[in-house]
Amino acid sequence: MAQPQGLLYSKEHEWANVDGGVATVGITEYAQNSLGDIVFVELPKVGAKVEQGANVGVVESVKAVSDLFTPIGGEVVEVNGTLEDDPGLVNREPFAGGWMFKVKVADLEPQRANLLNAAAYEQFVAESEH
Amino acid sequence: MVSESAERHTVLFDEHRALGGRMVPFGGFAMPVQYESILKEHDAVRERAGLFDLSHMAQYFFTGTGVAAWLDGLTVNNVETMKPLQARYNIFTNERGGAHDDIIVYRLDQTRWMVVVNAGNAPKMLEYLTARVPAGVEFVSKHGPNANIALQGPLSASLLAPHADVDPATLKYYTCVECKVDGTPAVVARTGYTGEDGFEIFVDGAAAVRIWRLLLDGGRAQGVAPCGLGARDLLRLEAGMPLYGHELTEEITPVQAGLGWAVKFGKQAFVGKEPLQRQAQADQFARVVGIKSVGGPPLREGYLVQHDGLPVGEIRSGAPSPTVGANIGTALVAKSASAPGTPVSVEIRSRAYPAEVVALPFYKRGTPK
Repeated sequence: MAQPQGLLYSKEHEWANVDGGVATVGITEYAQNSLGDIVFVELPKVGAKVEQGANVGVVESVKAVSDLFTPIGGEVVEVNGTLEDDPGLVNREPFAGGWMFKVKVADLEPQRANLLNAAAYEQFVAESEH
Repeated sequence: MVSESAERHTVLFDEHRALGGRMVPFGGFAMPVQYESILKEHDAVRERAGLFDLSHMAQYFFTGTGVAAWLDGLTVNNVETMKPLQARYNIFTNERGGAHDDIIVYRLDQTRWMVVVNAGNAPKMLEYLTARVPAGVEFVSKHGPNANIALQGPLSASLLAPHADVDPATLKYYTCVECKVDGTPAVVARTGYTGEDGFEIFVDGAAAVRIWRLLLDGGRAQGVAPCGLGARDLLRLEAGMPLYGHELTEEITPVQAGLGWAVKFGKQAFVGKEPLQRQAQADQFARVVGIKSVGGPPLREGYLVQHDGLPVGEIRSGAPSPTVGANIGTALVAKSASAPGTPVSVEIRSRAYPAEVVALPFYKRGTPK
């Protein structure tokens, strides 16, 4: 499974797109596919200070409740309100319209070490499937 | 990935894998929880038709003149009064009135009967029944050798018709017939657990792959979908049908589960009759009700239900319902909070979400969408 280039990935299957000190965060194609039909998303509050790897929300499919972790620490500056009415957007467009929240990144460099690039994440996914 | 080696496979296991089925452990078997999407599979059954592998459920065959009287003593519903080719929902009870299992009894003729039990209860029921089978009654389990393919949905009768030597449309609801499907002897019953019209095909496992493919390939153009346990659970919950282990257990009695209609106190004697009768007469028991909430997270088993700030029970099943357009569930609640319209709250992740007690079922066939 080819992964979008230029993003940072966590081993919890979240992605982050860092641009101008703000990271847009979502879950990956692999994650949405594993979860199945997503029917409810609970996101962090705007203004919340979150640490890298913290449990910041919940993604629910028809059958299961899964924790949402943030791949990047910082301050939550925006959440995707569209998902409240249309959580299935995460299934349809996990890397685009299905983004979940944005974090103003405090200090990116030390956090990079805990994340994967597209190629490394692709390999991680391939290994998870065996 | 989790090893599936500990789980038994039905004869259709390779079909499920080839169709992209996501296999999960269920009742001792590796079964597909979904193929492409639980919601799409749900819609296929409500609008067109869906195909289910129910071969994990155990098929027990009993022969003898004493079968009905014997089963009548172990279950709550009438067996003796069943006519040949009739099917009837029933429950094996324990001494306290709790449920060993809920089943469907099929009377094939004067002396031959089929009983279908839940997969998860099959080991328990095999032991229970083997220990009690009376002299003169022959008991054969076809759990494993036989398959059960269910075709459910409004198009079921027309999709099955070309492959059966009996017109399925002539079968009444909750009846069955011994006929041939694609030339193979089978029991075809107009039963199911989805709230839709549909059929269950009980057939030798050797013919199962052929019949499965025939129905699936033959129905693709009309939008037939293979459906997994996820869709089945959602469909049965919408239809207000109990699932053993949730609404009905060794502790939760048929009376509590709202299945009083199936409990025939007029029968001379059956296991658990007296405690059930006392429970029904006293009418103070906690009972299974429908719960509906709009907007919040889906209801899930184990969530606490409160009324007027006090705990009154817990959710036993829950799901987001596409048909209702809300979160639905069942809860076992105190009598004081059981009337339809009672406002309750459901605690989800330390937060109270408003919900309401509603009458079951959530969905009846023919409900306009």
